[in-house]
Amino acid sequence: MPASLFEKYGGFGSVSRIVMTFYDKVLDSEDIGDFFDDVDMTRLIDHQTKFISYLLGGPVSYSEERLRRTHATLDLNNEDFDEIARLLHETLVEHKFDPGDIKAVMREIEARRSAILSTGAP
Amino acid sequence: MSITAINQQLLRAIGVGIAVVGSKDLQVLFQNGPFSDWFGKPDAAAALTDLLPDIDIEQLRAEIEDQGRFTGEVSVKMKRRTLVIALTVAPAEEQDFLVVECQNITRIRELESMIDSYSSMVERNTRELEREKERVERLLLNLMPRSVYEEFKTFGVVTPQLYESVSVVMLDFVGFTKFSSEHDPTVTLGELNDIFTAFDRIAEQFGCERIKTIGDAYLAVAGMPEPSPDHMRAVANCAVRFIRYLERRNQSHQHKWKARVGLGTGAAVGSVVGIQKYVYDVFGSAVNLAARLQEFANPMCVVAPDAMKEFLVDEFHLEDLGKRDIRSFGEMRLMRVNPGVELAHRARQF
Repeated sequence: MPASLFEKYGGFGSVSRIVMTFYDKVLDSEDIGDFFDDVDMTRLIDHQTKFISYLLGGPVSYSEERLRRTHATLDLNNEDFDEIARLLHETLVEHKFDPGDIKAVMREIEARRSAILSTGAP
Repeated sequence: MSITAINQQLLRAIGVGIAVVGSKDLQVLFQNGPFSDWFGKPDAAAALTDLLPDIDIEQLRAEIEDQGRFTGEVSVKMKRRTLVIALTVAPAEEQDFLVVECQNITRIRELESMIDSYSSMVERNTRELEREKERVERLLLNLMPRSVYEEFKTFGVVTPQLYESVSVVMLDFVGFTKFSSEHDPTVTLGELNDIFTAFDRIAEQFGCERIKTIGDAYLAVAGMPEPSPDHMRAVANCAVRFIRYLERRNQSHQHKWKARVGLGTGAAVGSVVGIQKYVYDVFGSAVNLAARLQEFANPMCVVAPDAMKEFLVDEFHLEDLGKRDIRSFGEMRLMRVNPGVELAHRARQF
């Protein structure tokens, strides 16, 4: 079994820096920052730590159902999703991820577009 | 530039928020850039209480009185980010002033929550691994006795061990091949599963340990891996109860089973065989003898060597079968083992 990206890029030590950069970018974003106006810091960090660790194949499982529930009340659209994906892409570039690995992560997140954008309505 | 001016400039340049307030009225007399960034620039004559409404002034004064300084934390919403600011308020050298020192500890708090989040992840994983380990352990304990498993776990290998004196019970069904050719394999398996499960319970109750089943043959030992002086009686007790169980089962079940049982006693070696596919097995004369004698037994009978007589005579009803020639053992006197009076009497009560 090939090592996960989580291990390849140095485990939690590096992932914590990625999460921090991503967290800053998201909060400072003009387009999507508003979604986080009233979000509790602890909850947001918890979510991002787990989700990014999960995307990189770290020691956590994150079900689609949980993604759906987390985002259900936010009324997100495709542009919002694209913006977040762009910020994640930017973050990974800054942290010197190989282009191939970035592509793999982007594919992973793209696969969850429908779960994240779901409003919870049937 | 005067010393005062230099000092003021220095205070403005550092990342720590500084304010100086009058100790009586708490009027803000000076504040540097970071302080204004976090708490706003007050109008003239603003008091600390206006800028920091969350601070309990009574407590502040009490702590300064008691400990010479006040420490606390305040949250400030800045755009959408919640900043956490740590405060220290202490009297300046001239008693008329209080110096308010503020540090932005938001990042520390954020990192703390990240570590919390990560450790909860890892702890959960550890618990899952722990559960997985228990499952593996249970599985391995089905393959070998616990003491052997402990040795295997500690040293990675199991040294074959010779047990001088153990007893073996071996059971084989009559007409099993015919049965399995006439029935669906799942029926055969279901029957064996049911019966062997019952045998396992009986074996456990009487201090025997099932080693393996080979098709329809069931093999259990007593006296290993834990030595026991009672190993002969243990296997005899199991043997007569296996037969009794089958008799009782036959009364209520569609398929009637008959079995032959042989007992053996002597030396045996126990060890794990194989590296990738472990199996704990026993070898030795006790095992061979039980297998041979089982072939001698009539259906639903238990046959044992005469050598076990003195250990079994008190508890079981023994019938002499005379001398027989046993392959690779030579001539040997055999006996049939039946339930003793007490057990037979108890069985009739039900």
